[in-house]
Amino acid sequence: MNFLHQPELQDSLNQLLIASRPRLERVLRHFEIPPEDAEDILQDAQLTLLYKWEQIRSPESWLIGTLKKKCIMYWRKRRSSLCDAVDTAILDLVATPVAPDQEKAELSFDLNRVLGNLSARCRSLLKLRYGLGYGPSEVAEQMGYRLSSIRKVTNRCLAALTRQLVAVGFYREPENEQND
Amino acid sequence: MSRMIDRHPTADRLRNFGRAKLSRHQNFHVVRHLLTGCERCSAVLAAEAPPGFGPERPAISPRDYDGAFAKARQKFLSSRQEHLVEQRQAPALLEVLGEQPFERQILLLNNSKKFWTWPLCSLLIQRSHELGFRDPRRALDMARLGVRLSEQLSVDAYGDARVADLRARAWAALANAQRIASDFRAADQSFRRAERLLRKGTGDFLEKARILLQEASLHGDQRRFAEATKLLDRVLRLAHRVGDESLVATALVKQGIVFGTSGRTEEAIECLREGLQGIDAKSDPRLAVAARHNLIVYLIEVGQLPEAVALLAATRPLYEELGDRMNLIRLKWLEGKIAQNCGRLSEAEALFRSVGDSLADLGLGYDTALLALDLAGVYARQGRTEEMRTLAAQMLPCFQSHEVHREALAALIVFQKAAKMDRVTLGLVHELSDYLRQCRTNPGVRLRDSV
Repeated sequence: MNFLHQPELQDSLNQLLIASRPRLERVLRHFEIPPEDAEDILQDAQLTLLYKWEQIRSPESWLIGTLKKKCIMYWRKRRSSLCDAVDTAILDLVATPVAPDQEKAELSFDLNRVLGNLSARCRSLLKLRYGLGYGPSEVAEQMGYRLSSIRKVTNRCLAALTRQLVAVGFYREPENEQND
Repeated sequence: MSRMIDRHPTADRLRNFGRAKLSRHQNFHVVRHLLTGCERCSAVLAAEAPPGFGPERPAISPRDYDGAFAKARQKFLSSRQEHLVEQRQAPALLEVLGEQPFERQILLLNNSKKFWTWPLCSLLIQRSHELGFRDPRRALDMARLGVRLSEQLSVDAYGDARVADLRARAWAALANAQRIASDFRAADQSFRRAERLLRKGTGDFLEKARILLQEASLHGDQRRFAEATKLLDRVLRLAHRVGDESLVATALVKQGIVFGTSGRTEEAIECLREGLQGIDAKSDPRLAVAARHNLIVYLIEVGQLPEAVALLAATRPLYEELGDRMNLIRLKWLEGKIAQNCGRLSEAEALFRSVGDSLADLGLGYDTALLALDLAGVYARQGRTEEMRTLAAQMLPCFQSHEVHREALAALIVFQKAAKMDRVTLGLVHELSDYLRQCRTNPGVRLRDSV
């Protein structure tokens, strides 16, 4: 409990943050963290170090490991938020009740074109989801998946769809996706 | 007139879409536009997209992070200042709390904001662990206060994920105190609570490993050895992952103790030896003593007396340095066992008698029973049937006045009857001793099952 009461140990915490900066920078670059978001991630890791200082025996390893984990979590969250946004928007688009026939036809054409670049499995799954309005349990039943794994499969297909929207025309999902 | 879907979203809107910062309505329009296959907008978005979602991202120079490091440092320094102030106040606050009866302590923690600090909560948890076996009732109170306080901590001040971690730690400390008090069901429930909180936490491997370590002790006490070993393997993996050698050593020591309790003495010795290599006795003397103490016990069990004697001699200063009464009693008990195994029976008897007096003073009925059986072992070897009868007669009333469960009492009655009939053998003494050790944490075990 007295660690931080001692000036030399306060210094050691300071020195640790200075000495570990090159390694922390490498982690941030490795994970391609946008500089404007790096502050929050760094701050979070450093504050946790401060509060847990007495529990941590190898502070530098802990700090680097924690930063890596936070970087992974950062992109995981960004990916899933983006996929959710795409999914919700498409569900809203296909559910729009008063769209004129021409708009409906255009939407169907555009959607089919994007889905056409996905693996057969994802194409079928997303057609059931967007075209026929099937819920997860119905999709699972139709495609022969267990209910427990359908969420994971759907998330993979949504990620593939989102990649298409971000790099449409340039990207083709590898066919071996079908065998995942 | 251009159609809505042909209108390009602004670059800002696309970037915000990439960061999932738009409203549902705004997303609707951006996605509809992107579905047309607009390469221009895809290109803008690709720069914001997560790795793997678009083309390769432009390289970032280390200088680009200067601002982030500077701002993070500023925030760190100001938080550290506040933390230091709270840390200095924590021991005094604990003292103020300590002067009150338990109900009043809870009342204070519920209503007085000056107590709502991270360091005080940490200190309560730490105290609960320190008191552990020395004063289980106070350890339980400390842990309960820790849990109460952890629920009052401000998530705005400390961060919601960090507070969830500390709450998980507080519940785990309570579970540990309940385990020591032999309330295994409550301990199980508290661990479940700690795990749920941990899922809302920072995801810190170290926090998780420490809680698993305590849970493994519970499984060990419940004689769920396979589960305890599995948990300790997970702790070892996590500890290696975060590069915490001390945690590796702690997990190995616990693994050794679990193996020892489950009768896998050779493996216990191996784990304890390996664990001891990673323990710095100066920074963690308590763990060092626990590891060495158990290693000595198992070395005696397998008959490696010279090594046990040498290790005890090397560890004696550490026991004395720790100085707490329970550890000194354990040291003397161990010296008695070594004397007994070396055939120095008078010395063993004197040591056991002295330990017995200390245990009786502390009201530790169960340990007194175990010790009495060690003393009975000395008498059995010497054929001192009269003393055996006296010892047996003294044991029963002593245990009846303490909290010794009926299975253990029944075993002692068996012993008393055998003593009356001059039928106590060294084998029976060992059998009863093994049985009492097992049914301490598992009252359901039958006498013959234990052999």
